[in-house]
Amino acid sequence: MVESKHSWKAWIYLAPAIVLLLIFTVWPIINTLRMAFLEGYSTMGAVGGATYEFGIGNFKQVLEYKDFLTCLGNTMLLCVLTVPISTILALLIAVCLNAIKPLQRLLQTIFFLPYVTNSIAIGMVFAAMFNMVGSAFGGENELIITAGIINNVLGFFGMDPVNWINAGSSYGANMVVMVVYIVWNALPFKILILLGGLQSINKQYYDAAKVDGTSRRRVFTRITVPLLSPMLAYVVITDFIGGFKEYSSIVGIFGEDMGPTGDPRRLNTMVGFIYDALANHQGRASAAALILFGIIFVVTLINLYVSKKKTHY
Amino acid sequence: MSELKNKTMQEKDLKKVSAMSKIGKIVVMVLLYAFLITMAVIVIFPFYFMLISSVKTLEEYQRSIPTLWPEVIRLSNYVEAFNTGNLGRLFVNTMIVGIVSTLLSLVITVLSAFAFARLEFKGKNALFAALLGTMMIPGELFTITNYATVNDFGWMNTYTVLIVPFLVSIFYIYLLRQNFMQIPNELYLAAKVDGTSDIKYLWKVMIPLALPTLISITILKMMGAWNSYVWPRLVANEEAYQLITNGLRNAFTDVDGNANIPVQMAAVAIVSFPLFLVFIFLRKYIMKGVSRSGIKG
Amino acid sequence: MKKRFVALFLAVIMCLPLFLLVGCNNKKTAAGDFVVPEEGFDTSKEITITFYHTMGANLREVLDKYIPEFNKLYPNIKIEHKQVGSYDDVRDQIKTEITVGNQPNIAYCYPDHVALYNLAKAVVPLDSLIDSTVEVKRDDGTTEVLGLTDEQKADFIKGYYEEGKQFGDGKMYTLPLSKSTEVLYYNKTFFDQHGLKVPTTWDEMEKVCEQIKKIDPDSIPLGYDSEANWFITMCEQQGSDYTSATGDHFLFDNEQNRAFVTRFRDWYQKGYVTTKELSGGYTSDLFKMDPNEKGNSYMCIGSSAGASYQRPAKTGDKYLFQVDITTVPQVDPKNPKVISQGPSLCIFNKADPQEVLASWLFVEFLTTTPAFQADFSMTSGYVPVIKSAAEDAIYKSDFLELADGGDYIQALSVKVGLQQEAAYYTSPAFNGSSVARDQVGLLMQQCLSSKTDDVAKMIKKAFEDAIAECKYQAG
Repeated sequence: MVESKHSWKAWIYLAPAIVLLLIFTVWPIINTLRMAFLEGYSTMGAVGGATYEFGIGNFKQVLEYKDFLTCLGNTMLLCVLTVPISTILALLIAVCLNAIKPLQRLLQTIFFLPYVTNSIAIGMVFAAMFNMVGSAFGGENELIITAGIINNVLGFFGMDPVNWINAGSSYGANMVVMVVYIVWNALPFKILILLGGLQSINKQYYDAAKVDGTSRRRVFTRITVPLLSPMLAYVVITDFIGGFKEYSSIVGIFGEDMGPTGDPRRLNTMVGFIYDALANHQGRASAAALILFGIIFVVTLINLYVSKKKTHY
Repeated sequence: MSELKNKTMQEKDLKKVSAMSKIGKIVVMVLLYAFLITMAVIVIFPFYFMLISSVKTLEEYQRSIPTLWPEVIRLSNYVEAFNTGNLGRLFVNTMIVGIVSTLLSLVITVLSAFAFARLEFKGKNALFAALLGTMMIPGELFTITNYATVNDFGWMNTYTVLIVPFLVSIFYIYLLRQNFMQIPNELYLAAKVDGTSDIKYLWKVMIPLALPTLISITILKMMGAWNSYVWPRLVANEEAYQLITNGLRNAFTDVDGNANIPVQMAAVAIVSFPLFLVFIFLRKYIMKGVSRSGIKG
Repeated sequence: MKKRFVALFLAVIMCLPLFLLVGCNNKKTAAGDFVVPEEGFDTSKEITITFYHTMGANLREVLDKYIPEFNKLYPNIKIEHKQVGSYDDVRDQIKTEITVGNQPNIAYCYPDHVALYNLAKAVVPLDSLIDSTVEVKRDDGTTEVLGLTDEQKADFIKGYYEEGKQFGDGKMYTLPLSKSTEVLYYNKTFFDQHGLKVPTTWDEMEKVCEQIKKIDPDSIPLGYDSEANWFITMCEQQGSDYTSATGDHFLFDNEQNRAFVTRFRDWYQKGYVTTKELSGGYTSDLFKMDPNEKGNSYMCIGSSAGASYQRPAKTGDKYLFQVDITTVPQVDPKNPKVISQGPSLCIFNKADPQEVLASWLFVEFLTTTPAFQADFSMTSGYVPVIKSAAEDAIYKSDFLELADGGDYIQALSVKVGLQQEAAYYTSPAFNGSSVARDQVGLLMQQCLSSKTDDVAKMIKKAFEDAIAECKYQAG
């Protein structure tokens, strides 16, 4: 009964949002498609009067570029490593937090702290903790002036210093640093959501299990995890989408070279790839962005499919 | 408490089993706390490192065996960081952008969420579905064109360019719409009968009821301004409009970044401090906001 | 799902008008050579000139001191200048402004910036202005020729002046404002104490490093700040190919270049040398360290403009050790080559030719006025671009003649910079020349530090990768 009367009103309420969305969301989608299919498109050239032909050259260039697979591989690897690690850790911490009384509030606050920090700023702290100053690392004439706090801690336990992020560091060491940092960053959000989920699980299930004398492990795998599965699915899916957009955490540790000295771009990701191209090769950047969208789309579909099968509502 | 009661009951009934389960419980609790405290220490260590480093002298910082507590507390690092990084300017910029964009964003979000939750119009569901669909597209894809658009608008290096393009968040609209939907429709119809206008109803009934969500959105949006990096770097390279994250990165890494890490750490601490304050005072709302955003089924 | 697609489709349709609107918004910039108007410069019209630069507060002060001097001659030209940030910031700012046609009149520039702006044909070729014989009336009653006189041309340090012509089309696009170079700083106290000879060639350098390493095994004898400069300078000194402004741009993958990279890798691995990126900080930090500490350097090759950063700590009125400055090592000391760096000025196209003329008059004023050049040099530590600046009385008595390795270390580096006047070279500039520069710098870092059993293979691959990257980035 109110429909027809309010129709125009609704559009007025929606007008500001729709105007902004048209300019800053819908138009970009159209324009990206256009630039991606104009061979070698660049805005500077367009201003200078150059014209561009329709074609798929940008996609070809992106796919044939030697670092494209590196970017894709890094992105995937970071996703595959950090999503499970951070989810499992977060789940463990949430379950433990849920099981204690004293100190619960304090610990909860501490675990949430990383969420309210500036990711680039804390990236600088991490970089400083892993940074080494000196020369010829790993060579015969190695000279370490400062080894960094992490190495000092390792040294305390009798281990040799590791070259984490400096010239001559190994890909594995770089990855460890990135995984630690990204997991550290992802934990608070996940802990919070999972803890919220845990607290909303009906106590009756646990009481019933107690009466039956079910073991702790069985309670965890048969009651907690299934009942928590919607939240788990949510954090995993959003984390995957976020993981494919990984960029600023790497800038935080390695700077805009996206890799250690002597091997820049080694840790470059898909988004980093897009930003590199964005400065002078807008056509190429658009093509790369579309490719990334395609990948995220497929991965999300798979995720949704899997979680539908595994999630209990 | 109830666990304790349980324990005493069990003790009365089965002495042998109870002794074992008591030990088992204590062991489990000890393990639990050990695990949690270890993790907490790991989580908090970078903050600790940042704070102690920020008051060390360069000489002390560079020692090959670092001190876990500074020998001399050098607060002048903070003064230096504030001056070198031109942090005052960056603070003001970030505050302006944060506050203005939050206010405008709230208005737009409330109006849109209201339309989607309470009003009926043709194509409502289709439009809403389309909006949700755009959430899946990576923002990087928008950056390329928005960069050209704001350029054409002549917005480079203005506050406008930092505020306007991100005023609409479909996510917030969605969040608030869910919240509005929970308010019984009868209230709205009753208000209609009384002849209350939509705006008045929105202002007097809906907004107060959805206040926690609105506060959460405010905080998340402010934190967004504090943390944004990529877009400001592209469109506001002039110092007068730089935001805190960009200034921080530029001020200490380009010129003599490696020269004085303690000062750099002091700058990071200064930047993080307001966020901590906000967190401590509004902890409840942030947590609620974040977890609410999480459980969206 | 179906509904969602319908909705998206509708949204797309709704946006089409917008698409057309924005799509047509791109303005075209005027192209072609600049023609000096026959009637010359109009001294009656008020003209405002914007000037983008990277000057810090103390240099802006110098500039503000000379703008009134300029306005005594041309009161109708108003100069508005602003510091945009770093060189990259100036470039990015102008790049975006060009796309909407509101670029400044004058800007600090590096050669590759000009090549980039010229994709949009935005920079004025200076030839017609330099050669113009049109007379301009100044407000103090005198007249001057709009162009440069032969004396003025000859007064420029040749290597600096030639840099404006490195764009492959024979045209001149920039005038140098102020330059710096690389010099070798060395710990004179240490060299004297151990009777070491200051190296003038790379062979001698190798020998000295070996000797120092024997005296102090915990030191890194030499620090070289810029890996890219090192590579490019070596190409220049040994006459091997680096880049070309025309045709196939990227020529640096050749036998001679791989040879010197292999040699320097060996030095790095022996602990003779380090660079800014490889050590994790400016090598001047190692040079000015207390020699008793682990990891210090006794020589440092860095910018002549950064001399004050090369000075060690002062206790009382005595520095920890004495620094001396000399020309960087050469392949052939009889035919020396040193890099020139630092800002040039370029002028942007504008619809009104009078704006271009006014810009030119200001650029000419800054680059050819000895007093300004001398003042700028004293404040910045840069080398003046005209020889007559060195004749300036105050510059001589208060600066150059006081040159020493301590309080007046900056004067000493400028003096060395002026002495090697004939040795400056310039590299070809084209869109992508900065990519080549970045890539050879990264290549040096990689080749020096990579751990490998087959050095030749690693170096070969690094060169191939760098060329491929250059082609991708520039293509």
